[in-house]
Amino acid sequence: MTFAYRLAALALAASLAAPAIASADGKSLYMDNCSACHQATGKGVKGAFPALAGTPLVQGPPKVLITTVLNGRAGMPAFKDDISDADLAAILTYARTTWGNKGSAIKPAEVASARAAAKAAPKPRGLQAH
Amino acid sequence: MSGSDASPAASVLTRRRFFESLAAVGGMSLVLSGMEALGFSQASATELPPTLTGGAKNTKVIILGAGLAGMTAAYEMSKAGYQVQILEARDYAGGRCQTARKGFKHTDLLGNTQVCEFDDGHYINHGAWRIPYHHRSTLHYTKSFGVLLESFVNDNDASYVYFEKGKGPLNGKPVRKGEIAADVRGYTAELVAKAASAGALDAPLSGVDRERFVAYLVNEGRLSKSDLTYKGTEGRGFSVHPGAGVNPGPGKELEPFAFKDVLDSNAWRVLSSVTGYEQQRTMLQPIGGMDQIAKAFEKRVGPMIRYSTVVQKIKQSPTGVTVSFKGPDGKLGEVTADYCVCTIPLSVLKQIELDASAPFKAAMEGVAYAPVNKIGLQMKSRFWEDKHHIYGGHIYTDLAGIGSISLPSYGWQAQKGVLLGYYAFGGEAARISAKSPADRAAFAVAGGQKVFPEYAENFENAFSFSWHLAEHNLGGWAEWGENGRKEAYPILCEPDGRLYLAGEHLSYLGGWQAGAIESAWQQIAKIHARVQQA
Repeated sequence: MTFAYRLAALALAASLAAPAIASADGKSLYMDNCSACHQATGKGVKGAFPALAGTPLVQGPPKVLITTVLNGRAGMPAFKDDISDADLAAILTYARTTWGNKGSAIKPAEVASARAAAKAAPKPRGLQAH
Repeated sequence: MSGSDASPAASVLTRRRFFESLAAVGGMSLVLSGMEALGFSQASATELPPTLTGGAKNTKVIILGAGLAGMTAAYEMSKAGYQVQILEARDYAGGRCQTARKGFKHTDLLGNTQVCEFDDGHYINHGAWRIPYHHRSTLHYTKSFGVLLESFVNDNDASYVYFEKGKGPLNGKPVRKGEIAADVRGYTAELVAKAASAGALDAPLSGVDRERFVAYLVNEGRLSKSDLTYKGTEGRGFSVHPGAGVNPGPGKELEPFAFKDVLDSNAWRVLSSVTGYEQQRTMLQPIGGMDQIAKAFEKRVGPMIRYSTVVQKIKQSPTGVTVSFKGPDGKLGEVTADYCVCTIPLSVLKQIELDASAPFKAAMEGVAYAPVNKIGLQMKSRFWEDKHHIYGGHIYTDLAGIGSISLPSYGWQAQKGVLLGYYAFGGEAARISAKSPADRAAFAVAGGQKVFPEYAENFENAFSFSWHLAEHNLGGWAEWGENGRKEAYPILCEPDGRLYLAGEHLSYLGGWQAGAIESAWQQIAKIHARVQQA
């Protein structure tokens, strides 16, 4: 993710009430980070990766959803070290408002506070593992 | 041990003589406890398989998964007289101990099918790929099964570091790791040595022999003894190598980089006083591919394995476990046994209908699995050896999605070679895995081209693997968070009824073959103790 984009996202969050429409950046960030498993359609892969379209978890209370993505759960990887607060807010807003989903938008500040509550500060990755 | 015997005075009680005297009075067990007390013990729960004596009492065990955990359990239990059957979803054994070579076929969950096209004799270990010297359990089986090992070069001072997110003149340039190490340590040692010898560190060094401390720094940083200055050192390399006659004669040493430039480059991030516990500078690998270990197990337990048999349901009763499966012909079947050792990754197991207590099932949700990407690139020449003089080791980069590029430790000076074009985890891996195999290869080649000008022109074909997109794996390895390790992990280490889980995910050696083996050892010992008591 470019630094310029992060700044833009932060500026957006600071100056406007977050719009309930997913931004184009939310879509491209979703495609980059999530679509390999959950698919561009949000339908997932049966027996492997759950659908996001029409799923209560995705449209429900933001904190549970944010924490799931930050720390991982039940096979899903943890993304706390890979995605900034602003980018994650954009991604989740996209997922909550696309494919017929009717969730509210998520602001970077909500991600930041969920991150603090879940003790999910990013850690620099080691050179290699295993 | 030999050093401890080199005592100058014959009257001094050397360690060996101490142990010998213990043996004389108390037999071997006293020797062993004496060795343990002095920290010399090799023996631990992780060194050897449990001894399963006393008979198996006609007990049947069904094992789910023919990876290293499952085959370890099958091998040891069948030797002890248990009636063992293994169900394996794939049509080959090994689990994550697998190797891609010519003809190896893989279809990922996105529907991408690849058939490996490497030349004969070339391979990539896209799963497990190196063995630490202290993984005694893995080494126990390689030794007793006659799987020959060779060195895996896990660190190479001649290899490049390529960082492009730093700054300064070294940014975005491949630089040999040894040059960075010599300079950053040399300059640091110079600073500290000069301060210490001027007395500026006397307070924190109180009680330390200042002269010895400075002598250590001179040695560590390869400083000039006379003025404690770092001026480069021959070990970081030559622009003209020394040779015969007067030309090249003494050769020409490379000049050190400026301290500021080295710090600005970020390349020092690859340096630490000692490697991490799991990453020694020299490691081991089986000659001919990691799957030699899987094949050695398979040779011994192969007849117990039902291949292409996918578990659908695990039911328990007070007296046994019944596993329903879909066989190779698509037909459903079931098998009942007294106990079940389940080595299916939790990412996959959680989607299988399972009779287990509510806390056990809740605990299964407490773990994440790592997205992991690897790609083998066949190169038509070994330019990294021929042109850059790098024989094995890793190119560390800060390129997202590439991580490190690893040069093969097999087949040095062969015509061709397969290198590891990326090794990436987490979100970076998820991103690249969304691409088609051809685009993944193009991405990897573009990354490597930044380090080696010969990269793209030598590239012939690729084989990529994403563990999170592999059916029956859904992730490279289990990643326990702090909470999961505390709350969920201990629950899963204990049996639920007659169901015992085993695998790397139930060890503190996560993602390593030793974790799979030792977890299996622990669980079969528990089953055996229960059978003996029954």
